[in-house]
Amino acid sequence: MKAHTLSVRDLRTLGCALALVAGTFALPGCSSVKGGGGASSGGGGGSSASNSLAITVNAGAATSKVNIPLVSVTICVPGTMNCQIIQNVLVDTGSNGLRLLQTQVTIPLLTALDTAGNPLGECAMFADGTFLWGSVATADIELSGEKASAVPIQIVRTTGSVGFPTVPTTCSGNGTDAGTVSVLDANGILGVGLFKQDCGVPCTVVPPANAYYDAGAACVPASCSTIAVPLVNQLQNPVSLFTTDNNGVLISLPTVGATGATSVSGSLIFGIGTQTNNALGTAKVYTTDSFGYITATYNGFSYPQSVIDSGSNAYYFLDFATTSFPQCMVVLGFYCPASSTNFTVTNIGNNGISGPVMFSIFSADTLFSSNPNFKVFSNIGAPFSGAFDYGIPFFYGRPVFTAINGQNTPGGMGPYFAY
Amino acid sequence: MRKILSFLLVLVFGAVPSWASLGLSEQSVHADQQRMAGQLKSATFNGFTVHEITGAGGMVVREYVSPVGTVFGVVWEGPTMPDLSQLLGPYFPKFQQAAANVRYRRGPLYVQDGPFVVESGGHMRAFRGRAYVTSLIPANLTKDVIR
Repeated sequence: MKAHTLSVRDLRTLGCALALVAGTFALPGCSSVKGGGGASSGGGGGSSASNSLAITVNAGAATSKVNIPLVSVTICVPGTMNCQIIQNVLVDTGSNGLRLLQTQVTIPLLTALDTAGNPLGECAMFADGTFLWGSVATADIELSGEKASAVPIQIVRTTGSVGFPTVPTTCSGNGTDAGTVSVLDANGILGVGLFKQDCGVPCTVVPPANAYYDAGAACVPASCSTIAVPLVNQLQNPVSLFTTDNNGVLISLPTVGATGATSVSGSLIFGIGTQTNNALGTAKVYTTDSFGYITATYNGFSYPQSVIDSGSNAYYFLDFATTSFPQCMVVLGFYCPASSTNFTVTNIGNNGISGPVMFSIFSADTLFSSNPNFKVFSNIGAPFSGAFDYGIPFFYGRPVFTAINGQNTPGGMGPYFAY
Repeated sequence: MRKILSFLLVLVFGAVPSWASLGLSEQSVHADQQRMAGQLKSATFNGFTVHEITGAGGMVVREYVSPVGTVFGVVWEGPTMPDLSQLLGPYFPKFQQAAANVRYRRGPLYVQDGPFVVESGGHMRAFRGRAYVTSLIPANLTKDVIR
């Protein structure tokens, strides 16, 4: 973590705050804290890239994995200059909302209250059998020149964390607590996926989906009630709350060669078709269904629950039997073909648009051992027979747009992926 | 399979207290439906029975029971993940160990430990997965019925 340095924008915000304190409400540009950003709409030259955040892909914050895309996120106590930069936050198009490990957060953020007046808890569960348990708090989020104000985020607790109820068994039952740097391999997750909220309507109904909890004194591991939460109080995809550049994101990463790399640098660019640096260009729009799925077809079979997910670190598809690939001996759970093998898969959007995707898979054991310092690979794969899950290797050398549900873009309404 | 299911489905609504975890008997555990506060439908096919619970927030769990009354497969789809410790029952520790072993993976899960297989995927708001024990699948069926 670095100390927060004051930018021009910060000084302007400070000026506004002072003006507000002094009662001088008519100062131009100080209509609200929310308008404090806005630099992104100026110029259009793109060189200042006030809508662009640097991504580094490497082994992660705990250097325990490969292909982990990370950014720095600035959070502030709402409406104040009390801010903090948190580095090494995973960029995830497969989730929505900002989640930060409590151990990384030093500024005082207020815990959100639920409709019963108790602290609002959340259990975020992931397909890999991990969970993140913690409180919902409110923070301003600054990403490059973009700002979202008073956003519900998750402050992730872990075993032994004090001041908040211990994880309920209905949350820990998903498997493994990922609420530490060593397990998460990041200081948090920045969910910039297809939706405005992390849960949506299923968490507004009674009984709600198993995500938000009434974390008052009665919440103990064996008995902690879920609670319905209105959409606006759920974790929010911060991009959808920006004043401009709020219809989605573009992830732009360089090509990675067949042997890999130590790390690569790229950009998380906000907005689709809103600036010169985020035009769709020749990208094809593949709309998703209401679940955020596209269809992949391979070898005559259809996989209608397929996803493009920057939070996945490989091509996850088929299984050992179907590919005839042996399992790796060292990099357990990955494919280890004797030679590099090409695949051509056809993706189909909900809008009927289709196109081929070509990629290669080589032995993770060979790749990892040939260059032990290499932590970025374009050609590693692992089994998952239920669908095609295009992880971060899919993004190398291929700009990928993720458009948010209900937001308009030059390519039509989200949700969609475009590449 | 989907078409057959919808065609043959015999709906039995109500608090039928027969629910189970993977590998256990149909009668041994009654907790799932209560735990999910769910509505139960059951359907019998040639060689197996499917119990489907629709629970809070639209979570759907299907459990596949063999003629001898053993749960040989479970399927889930929903906006969040199900309680895998409940669904996988005696296989949950194996699941946790196998998931920990594949330490370089970050993404959907595919766990195989002998006859026990778990596939868990999707993304936030739309999860989907299944688990089965190949040695418990009736001889006239394949894992493809578990869907």
